[in-house]
Amino acid sequence: MRHVPAIAAREIRSAFSTPVAYVLISAYLFIAGFLFFGSFGFFLIQLQQIQAYGLHHLLERMNLNDIVIAQSFGTFATLMAFLVPLLCMRAFAEERATGSIELLLTSPLTSWEIVIGKYLAILALIALIVALTALFPALLFAYGDPELWQTLANLLTLFAYSAGIAALCCFVSALTRSQIVAAVVGLIASVLLLVLDFAAESTSSEVVQQVLRYVGTSGHFEPGLRGQVRLEDLTYFGVMALVFLSLCRAAVESLRWR
Amino acid sequence: MIRVAGLTKRYGNLVAVRNVSFEVAEGEVVGFLGPNGAGKTTTMRCLTGFLAPSDGRVEVAGHDLARAPLAGRAAVGYLPELPPLYPEMRVDDYVGYVASINGVPRAQRAAHVERALEACGLSDVRRRVIRTLSKGFRQRVGLAQAIVHEPAVLVFDEPTSGLDPLQIAEIRELIRRLATEQGRTVILSTHVLAEVEAICRRVLIIAYGELRLDAPLERVRESGGLEETFRREVEAAGGLSPEGGGE
Repeated sequence: MRHVPAIAAREIRSAFSTPVAYVLISAYLFIAGFLFFGSFGFFLIQLQQIQAYGLHHLLERMNLNDIVIAQSFGTFATLMAFLVPLLCMRAFAEERATGSIELLLTSPLTSWEIVIGKYLAILALIALIVALTALFPALLFAYGDPELWQTLANLLTLFAYSAGIAALCCFVSALTRSQIVAAVVGLIASVLLLVLDFAAESTSSEVVQQVLRYVGTSGHFEPGLRGQVRLEDLTYFGVMALVFLSLCRAAVESLRWR
Repeated sequence: MIRVAGLTKRYGNLVAVRNVSFEVAEGEVVGFLGPNGAGKTTTMRCLTGFLAPSDGRVEVAGHDLARAPLAGRAAVGYLPELPPLYPEMRVDDYVGYVASINGVPRAQRAAHVERALEACGLSDVRRRVIRTLSKGFRQRVGLAQAIVHEPAVLVFDEPTSGLDPLQIAEIRELIRRLATEQGRTVILSTHVLAEVEAICRRVLIIAYGELRLDAPLERVRESGGLEETFRREVEAAGGLSPEGGGE
């Protein structure tokens, strides 16, 4: 594993030497900021209405964390289902298209080193995005009094969720030479996992419902948005990453056997 | 230095290389000749560990590529037909990166990069972004990455394809210097006969995936010349084949 840092560092630098990473991160921040302050504005209007009509007993339910932060982070997770496939699409597809994969596969590197190096670089980008996302609730801390732990739980959940689907999208990228195919398939897969919960509602079989709920991603980040970081949810994302990184390694190794 | 025994590579039903065996001793410079689609690139890819053979063994610098792939791959410097460059990187960063993934210790890396850039005439463009270089210079960067870890064996796959006549002469001269002055073992695949005449001392001819000839260049010259021998062997094998390279 000693070559992992070199591979990861090259990937990160290369992500920022083209406009792609900047464009994606800016677009995300723009949309996320828009949604966050929309949600905050709605909160303020509700607050004014409650005061105007003298419904003071409702004030107790007006909680910044639940109404503004947790709800916005739910939307951010949905945004990530679109952003992460775009961050991951080039991981292997580009190297296969340009032929630089030949450099990696003829160097004394193990397939694990290549896969982990690239994955860590994407995790670094995701960590940066989550850190920038933290600026929104940080502004509320400057003016209001949200709960710190619940907010940190939201950030951790957003990261764990993104890390899980990033492994899936890396695997998809290793299957094709086309970045567009990688992005589209990765996007469909992550959105599908996100809405599996809705599919569960519409089936009558109890067992199928439970399986769909467990396999789907949304059931595993919603508790985190309420401030409950559960070990089982973190395990779910960890196992998801492990499974897809193993598949990704197998896909990279299989390139030798064409 | 290189020992290939019974090498066979199939892509589905297509047999690209069939039962090829040869040995290359230390310090030899061997030309691997064949018409396009004869199996040159596939053989080079098996020699460098990029492809796993369907059958047979490949041994490089004493390491069996199937049993000790990392040690075997570390002993080879490889310039594929399409140089495996990252166009957004700067020349010296790229060559340094290749050195590091090939296990050159950090303390010696700068010196290795320096020597490779110097040998390939890249010292003046070291801080240029690779994308902005001409095709000939990009080929030099490809050469620099192949030699930066100072491997025992160098494998070049059609190193002059797609270059203009001046660039071809430059690259050929560079390879001749790398091959002769440093006493390395070199395998050069090409379909340009003049390239073999200029650089190599031994020639292997492959056609239709089969090894047709393995002889010192002098002997080939005596028996009618390289062009005559090449034509004879390719025609005997059944003419030109339609298959192309590609991943």
